[in-house]
Amino acid sequence: MRIKDKVPVTILTGFLGSGKTTLLNRILSEEHGKRIAVIENEYGEVGIDQGLVINADEEVFEMSNGCICCTVRGDLIRVLGNLMKRRDKFDYVLVETTGLADPGPVAQTFFIDEEISSEFTLDGIVTLVDAAHIDQQLGRSDESSEQVAFADVLVLNKTDLVSGDALDSLESRLRDMNRMTRIIRAENAKVPIETVLNLSAFDLDQILKRRPTFLEPEYPFEWTGVYDLDAGKYELMLEEGPDPEMSVVALANQGESEEELKDGAESSVRLYAEKSKSLEPGNTIPFGEHIILKLEEKGDKSFILDIEKGSKIGLYTQHTAEEFNMKIIKIDKNNPKEIPFKIERFWQAEHEHDDEVTSIAIERFGDVDPEKLNTWLGRLLSEKGVDIFRTKGFISYSGNPQRIVFQGVHMLFTAQPDKEWGNEPRRNQLVFIGRNLDEKEMREGFEKCLI
Amino acid sequence: MPDIESFSPRGMFHEGWTAEVNDYAIVCGWAIKGKLFIVGDVSGGIFAFEGDTGKIIWEKEKTHSGGLLAMSIHPEGEIFATSGQDGNIQIYNCHEGKLIKTLDLGKAWVEHLKWSNDGLFLAVASSKKVYIFNEIGDEKWVSDDHPSTVSAIKWSNKNELATACYGRVTFFDIENNKTNQKLEWKGSLVSMELSPDGDIVACGSQDNSVHFWRRSTGMDAEMTGYPGKPSHLSFDESGKLLATSGSERITVWSFIGDGPEGTIPGELFHHTEPISSLAFSNKGMLVASGSRDGSVVASFLKKDGNGDPVGAAFAGDLVGAISWRPDDCALAAVNAKGVVNVWKFKVRTNLSSEGFK
Repeated sequence: MRIKDKVPVTILTGFLGSGKTTLLNRILSEEHGKRIAVIENEYGEVGIDQGLVINADEEVFEMSNGCICCTVRGDLIRVLGNLMKRRDKFDYVLVETTGLADPGPVAQTFFIDEEISSEFTLDGIVTLVDAAHIDQQLGRSDESSEQVAFADVLVLNKTDLVSGDALDSLESRLRDMNRMTRIIRAENAKVPIETVLNLSAFDLDQILKRRPTFLEPEYPFEWTGVYDLDAGKYELMLEEGPDPEMSVVALANQGESEEELKDGAESSVRLYAEKSKSLEPGNTIPFGEHIILKLEEKGDKSFILDIEKGSKIGLYTQHTAEEFNMKIIKIDKNNPKEIPFKIERFWQAEHEHDDEVTSIAIERFGDVDPEKLNTWLGRLLSEKGVDIFRTKGFISYSGNPQRIVFQGVHMLFTAQPDKEWGNEPRRNQLVFIGRNLDEKEMREGFEKCLI
Repeated sequence: MPDIESFSPRGMFHEGWTAEVNDYAIVCGWAIKGKLFIVGDVSGGIFAFEGDTGKIIWEKEKTHSGGLLAMSIHPEGEIFATSGQDGNIQIYNCHEGKLIKTLDLGKAWVEHLKWSNDGLFLAVASSKKVYIFNEIGDEKWVSDDHPSTVSAIKWSNKNELATACYGRVTFFDIENNKTNQKLEWKGSLVSMELSPDGDIVACGSQDNSVHFWRRSTGMDAEMTGYPGKPSHLSFDESGKLLATSGSERITVWSFIGDGPEGTIPGELFHHTEPISSLAFSNKGMLVASGSRDGSVVASFLKKDGNGDPVGAAFAGDLVGAISWRPDDCALAAVNAKGVVNVWKFKVRTNLSSEGFK
C-alpha cells in the first residue's frame, strides 16, 4: 500500500464577493467523476449536498524561530491528517480560504509538514478576482495582491459588469504582477473545470511539457507587419524616428492568422534573446536572425530585402512602423512601388510596472556555474525570501546533460534534474514574483552566474 | 520491576488472535480488566472482542456521522466514551455496548477526550474550548476560548487538567474554576504527555522539536534535531524515561540524575517508516512502537534510554494504534486496513516466564 498516488489539493482563494462559493458549487455539481472533499473556511456555504465538507477556522501557526517560511496552517494539518485516514472516500481535495488569507502558509503546509506532504500534493492555487472591484482592493490590502501573486490560475470573474477596455487594462495589470499565471475571464464563475483542477502547477515537469516556456509572454517587439512579396529586391525605408537603432527579426513564410502570428512571435522572442548583428544602411537583411538596424544617419535610410521566391514575410520590429514611417518599396527603375502590409499586429511590450507586486523574468541562453548559482540564489532567498512569493524556472548547469527545474515558495526551494537537453539549445529561464524586487540587481546577479 | 534489570530478558510475540473491523482502525483499548478489547474505526464503527480469544461480543455501526475521532475507556473499565466529527460525545456500557448518554457540543469536531484517573470526570476538547462532564454526563465546567484549537489534553491530578494549543500549555483547576499555571512557548504544540506525578510536561512541536517544562522548578528546555514533528510521546510508569518520535527513529530522553538536559538520548532504529504509535508498558521499561510500514516492535530500555528489541511482529499495514493489556501480557495493534492483531507477550526472566506480574 505504500506506493500510491498522492491526493491532489487545489486551493481556492479570493476576496469576499469574488465568487468562490459559486465556483465551488459549480465544481461540485458538475459531472467530473471525482469525489471531492471540501475544506471550507468558517464562513463557507457549500450549497451542494456533498459527502465530505469540513469546516475549519483558519489557524496560522508561526514557528518559534520566527521564520515566515515555516509558517503553516494548523487547521489544514489537523483536518488533512484526519482525511488521510479516509482515502477510499475521496480522490481530490479543495480548500477554500477566506479573502483575508495569506496563501503563503497554505502553500507551505504542503511542503513543510512531512505527514501532509507524504499523502497530499498541492495541485494549484486558483484565485478569483471580482473584475469590478479588484482595482480598488489591490490598492487597499496586501492580501489581495498576494493572492494574485501566488495564483497559478486567475479567474477574472464578473466580466459582464465591466467594459472590454477596462478588462484589458485590468488583465494587463494582473499580468504585470504575476507573469506565470493563466488568466481566465468568466461571468458568474463559469469556467471549464479542467482549467482549475488537475493543473499539476507545482510539477514543473508537467507544466513545461504543456507550455515549453511557462511565461505568458511580454514581447521585446511592439509591432509585426506581414507583407506578400514576389521574387525580387526590395528596399526597407525608414525615416528619422525616436531611436538611433532598432531591433528587427524578419521571418520568411509568415502566415496571417492569429495562431501563425503567435508562432512567429514565439520564434522571434527566442531570436531576440540571441546575440544581435548590426546592419548599416544599404546592407541586406538576413532572415531568422536578430538584427539591429543602425539609424544614426540623417534623412531616409534603406536596407535591402532580397526575395528569391515569392512568399509572405513577417517583420517583428522593436518599434511600430508608424514611428519611423517604415515602408517596403519594390526596387524597379521604371516603376518603384510601395507594397503595403497585408496585416499588422501590435504586441504588449515590456514596460514599467506600477504595482509593488511584480514578476521578474530572466531568460538567457548558455550554461550557469552551479556553485555560483547556489550561492547567489541562496543569498537572494535568505535576504529577500519574505518578499519573494514564488519562484519557478529551469536552468542549464554546465556539464549536466539534464535540465534542472526548480521552484520555491518564499525561502522554501526545491531543484531537481528533469529531461535531457538533447539537441535543444541550452538556456535558462527564471521567474520571480514578489514585492519591491530590485530587477536590475537580480539580473546582474544572475548574469554573474553564467559561464 | 527493578529486579528484572540485571537480566537481559528475551521476549517475544506469541500467536494470539486476529479479527477485522470495517474501516481504518484509529483507536483501541482494553476494558473490564483486560477481558474485553474495544476497537473504533474511522467511519464510526465500534467493535468489542473477547480479550483472550478475539470472539466478537458486540458491534456498532456509524456511531458518529462524519466519523469517529477519539475514545477513552473509563479507568474502572466498565464504561467508555467516544467523540466524533458530528460534535457528539457518546458514553457506552462496555459489557453490552449499550449507549448510556449522548452529549452534543455543536458543529465542531470533538477531537480529544480523557477520563480523569479516578474516573470521576470526563474532559473533552472541541475546537478552542474544553468541557468537563461528570460520570453521568452532566456538564461540570467549561473553559474560555483558547488562542487556537486545543491539540491535546491530559489530567495532571484528579482535579487538574492540562491543555495544549498553539503557543501554550495551561493547567486548569476545574474544581475551583481557576487557572493554575500557564506555560508559554511560541510554537504549535501538536502533542503532550505528563510524567505520572504531573511534574514534567513534554510537548511535541510543529517545528520538529520537543519542549518540556518542570512545573516544580519552572525550568524548561527544548530538544531539537528531530527529522519530523514529534507527534508521538510516551512516559514510562516511573516518569524517568520519555520516548518520543517524529520519524522512523525513536528518541528516548532519560530524566535520571540531571538529565535530560545536556545528555545524549537513547535512540532506537527499528522501523523503516515513521512511527505511527508509541506506548510504554503499564509496568516496567518496555516500549512498544508501531510504524507506517506495519511493523510492531517491543524494546526493553535501559536507564540511559538505550535499549534492544525483545520482540517484533508485522501488523500488515500502517499501525493505527497499539495498546498493552493491563497486565502487559498481551499487546494489541490495529491497522489502516481494519485488521486487529493481538499477540501474547512473554518475557523470559529468572523470575517469571509469564511477563511482568
